[in-house]
Amino acid sequence: MAHEYVPEIATDREGNEYVVQGWQDDFYGGKLGFWLFMFTEVMMFGAMFLALTYYKTLHPEDFLTASHHLNRLLGGTNTVILLISALTMGLGLLKMRVGDVKGAKLMIYITMFLAAMFLAIKGVEWTEEYEHGIFLMHDKLLPESSFPFGEKLFYGLYFTMTGLHGFHIIIGIGLMIWLLKRINAGKVTPEHHILHWNIALYWDIVHLIWVFVFPYFYMIGANHGN
Amino acid sequence: MATNTNIDYKKEQSNYIKVLVGLLVLTAITFVQPHLFMEHSSFLAQMIIAVAKAWLIVIYYMHLKGDKLIGAMVWFTLFLVAVFFIITIAVDVTHFQFGDESYITSAEHSLAGAEVHQTSSAHE
Repeated sequence: MAHEYVPEIATDREGNEYVVQGWQDDFYGGKLGFWLFMFTEVMMFGAMFLALTYYKTLHPEDFLTASHHLNRLLGGTNTVILLISALTMGLGLLKMRVGDVKGAKLMIYITMFLAAMFLAIKGVEWTEEYEHGIFLMHDKLLPESSFPFGEKLFYGLYFTMTGLHGFHIIIGIGLMIWLLKRINAGKVTPEHHILHWNIALYWDIVHLIWVFVFPYFYMIGANHGN
Repeated sequence: MATNTNIDYKKEQSNYIKVLVGLLVLTAITFVQPHLFMEHSSFLAQMIIAVAKAWLIVIYYMHLKGDKLIGAMVWFTLFLVAVFFIITIAVDVTHFQFGDESYITSAEHSLAGAEVHQTSSAHE
């Protein structure tokens, strides 16, 4: 059942009433705060990309060979899925801003479905790699394995970074469920949609990270050995 | 202060679709690049395409177009990453005193290490 947004009122000693400026009403403050959080994400993944670059300079051949063996079809499909999900999330926010709450909810559901598809494809890909003996602390990636060391580093970072990215996708689905609950409760409305705005921003940064993860892991060795 | 709802839906939707088309075209270029151009500098080419895609996402999907304060913060964060990670780590890495002994920095050692591990596990 929807509830109308009721602002908090503070009263001074003379009995004058003031509307308390909460995060619901401080649009720019809410947006700025969320951007600060996103910068920490940029720095975390940025450090990982720099580690990846450093190891690549040490073992360039192994990195290209390992990259060549990744499944580009599944990785590419996931790239397109995330791309479309960023659009549906953006359109959902747009619909919310113009007052089409039902349309906004539909777009969030579609985004959640696409996110689940992304995870399912990632699961298929990881299973395929596991069956080939490639997984963290398994078979070829064990310290005693004779698998080239640079490839071990590449796959180690591949599973760590795509795993961390997948974790962000799961968090994103959780946030979208929360957003739907807030919309249903009337706490997120066309007039007060900062939460929707920030979750859309979160989804964009998840997409943005994949924009670099995909070419770095899947494409750099695409023509290796040809 | 409530958020602004005075937006042109059709225009904004059309912008979103245009950006999607741009991103799809760049994704297609990502796929064909290794076989079409800059074959020997694939890494560089892929990163240039990724930066172009990132720019579209940040400016249009993340609404940074015209937002000077957050835009400046983005540049500052990238600057911080450059200073703290690239410069600091680069100094550390170039002065790494155990370079020849490390399994990570020495390719020879890493192979030899794997062989030693293999032999020892075979004896167990």
